[in-house]
Amino acid sequence: MKNKTLFLVMALLCAILMVASVATKTVEAEEKTLKALKAGFIYVGPPGDYGWTHAHDEARKICETFFPWLKTIYVESVPEGQAGSVIDRLIKEEGCQVIFTTSFGFMDETLEAAKKYPEKIFAHCSGFERAPNMATFMADFYQVYYLNGLIAGALTKTGKIGYIGAYPIPEVKRHKNAFDIGVREVNPTAEVHVRWINAWFDPDAAAAATESLIAEGCDVFAFTEDSPAVVQTAAKYGFPSFGHYSPMYKFAPDYVVSGQIVHWEVFYLDFLAKVYAGLYTNQNLENVDYWLLLREGAVEVGAEPGMVINPIYEEALKAVTVDDSLLGKISVYDLCLKRLKQMSDPSMVFDPFEGPIYDRNSLLVVPEGTRLSVSELTAIEWAVEGIVGPWPGEPGVE
Amino acid sequence: MNWQSWLIGIFRSMGYGTPLLIATLGEIYSERSGVLNLGVEGVIAFGAFVGFAITFQTSNPWLGLMSAGLAGGLISLIHAFLSITLRANQVISGLALTMIGTGLAGLFGRGWEGTPLPFLARRILLTQNNFIFFTLILALLLWFFLFKTRVGISIRATGENPAAADASGINVWRIRYWCVFVGGVLAGIAGGYVSIIYRPAWTEGTTGGMGWLVIALTIFSFWNPIWAILGAYFFSAIFHLSFRLQAWIAPELLKSSPYILTIITLFFIGILKLKIKKAPAALTQPYERGE
Repeated sequence: MKNKTLFLVMALLCAILMVASVATKTVEAEEKTLKALKAGFIYVGPPGDYGWTHAHDEARKICETFFPWLKTIYVESVPEGQAGSVIDRLIKEEGCQVIFTTSFGFMDETLEAAKKYPEKIFAHCSGFERAPNMATFMADFYQVYYLNGLIAGALTKTGKIGYIGAYPIPEVKRHKNAFDIGVREVNPTAEVHVRWINAWFDPDAAAAATESLIAEGCDVFAFTEDSPAVVQTAAKYGFPSFGHYSPMYKFAPDYVVSGQIVHWEVFYLDFLAKVYAGLYTNQNLENVDYWLLLREGAVEVGAEPGMVINPIYEEALKAVTVDDSLLGKISVYDLCLKRLKQMSDPSMVFDPFEGPIYDRNSLLVVPEGTRLSVSELTAIEWAVEGIVGPWPGEPGVE
Repeated sequence: MNWQSWLIGIFRSMGYGTPLLIATLGEIYSERSGVLNLGVEGVIAFGAFVGFAITFQTSNPWLGLMSAGLAGGLISLIHAFLSITLRANQVISGLALTMIGTGLAGLFGRGWEGTPLPFLARRILLTQNNFIFFTLILALLLWFFLFKTRVGISIRATGENPAAADASGINVWRIRYWCVFVGGVLAGIAGGYVSIIYRPAWTEGTTGGMGWLVIALTIFSFWNPIWAILGAYFFSAIFHLSFRLQAWIAPELLKSSPYILTIITLFFIGILKLKIKKAPAALTQPYERGE
């Protein structure tokens, strides 16, 4: 009988646990209109991460308040490899017409589901597989990292800038390269010291990597990791840094100079409105690929929304000048704003990945007069001159 | 790179060793009394959340730390009730506690992510370096208590041979309950230290993985608070070095080195038959009078 009590207690604990870990939530639309749309979101992490999933969930909430005809539901912390069964449930039990999958690892399962449910609409984030009823979308930071690099190059006193990266994959490598190109445009002898933490979210590792870079003499920090750990660690020792993904100004108002901020709602609002209006159907998504940059407003440079450069650093950045072949003698502060304007322009008159660019083994990777295409950008493996540190998968090095 | 920078780096890594040490001291007490608590991971997460939330609401970090400790102690009583009173399997009940703790912290933590603590909360005394000092004193006191006092002897007797301890008039249940509670309080404080002092912010999973390091450390330090001091700061130094040495050694290897070192230590103790403390004899064994 002791065992029975025990079994009951255990079963109760399991039940609590299930509710706690896989919380799903449906929010009813306020008004009932003639036609309603229900969208299901599949997240790879918890919305509480203050990074990737948090940003998608913020966008979901915005969509829900914006469109009275929209109902949304989300399933969080879905392991890659289990998205298929979650999609089944969202379609069969919850009646979702649109499914968003927000991790690269969900790509194959999303494609499979798109074939299984040809009358439903799918959109997959950060992948490259499409189908008549499956679109792709991505908001990319490389231009923002370049702008942050300009600022970092002007602020470093030791000539060493620290960069803590998540995984050594093309996306992160592209961002590091863009950052380094910005740094070297302002400060041609500066180095960007790189450390990898092999996780998207690991505040302990990010903090430890920052401390080891500080010990090596780095004095300005940028990173790819889903927590404010780098910002807080750098601030503890009085060093400036750049926020990542969500606004991080408030974590260290004296030390967050600028940063990268995402606005996923730019995509979700546009896509859902077009689905609702009948412009996007389950027949015509084969070539629908959203590649969103500064000019689309899906990414923003700033310490927090509306604050491109923290005013505390304005004076220091105005004091440093560079000689630009087109713009003449210009302060870094003005250069940063000028470049931002150029890249926000519909015709995008400037791009950081413009030739000639040499990698750190002196190989020409972008010929003079050319720019990298989207497919080239998403396949970058090289490291440009100025990057110091381990670089797994570097071409020509074994 | 010069040698001073390596020393400075390792000294700074001690900020990460502090919560490891605090929680390990707690786990040592729990295990010394014969209760393996695999729930530390969950208790640390829960303590981190409660500590953060209370500090945020009251702007009083001391209150936050105390609440973190209390919350950690209370949630550990689930494990105590299951494994001591109901005599459940300690491994299963401990793992359940880990899941409950991390789950509850994540659930209640919704909406707190991305809110920094008010600046008022960062006060004098509560600095990383002071905490290294406090924790060292705590470790010495707990060592003294465990090895030099009557109650300490009772705790160790309970963990080695509960039947004999019971026969000599020691209340085995009370000792075990208190040890699990104190272990939970310390793990909760470790979590609170992370979310209030070390990295003042809340994000789900912010203390992720620390609890498992604590379990390894408890073995690595031979259930002795003094060795735990060395172990905790050794582990944190390795963690720090894993980023300094990244250019030469695979980071995955360095990251798993605490666990590898624990296995190697156990291996050599076994092979050389060293006369060194093995796990408390009654560890993981529920006690029932008259069995």
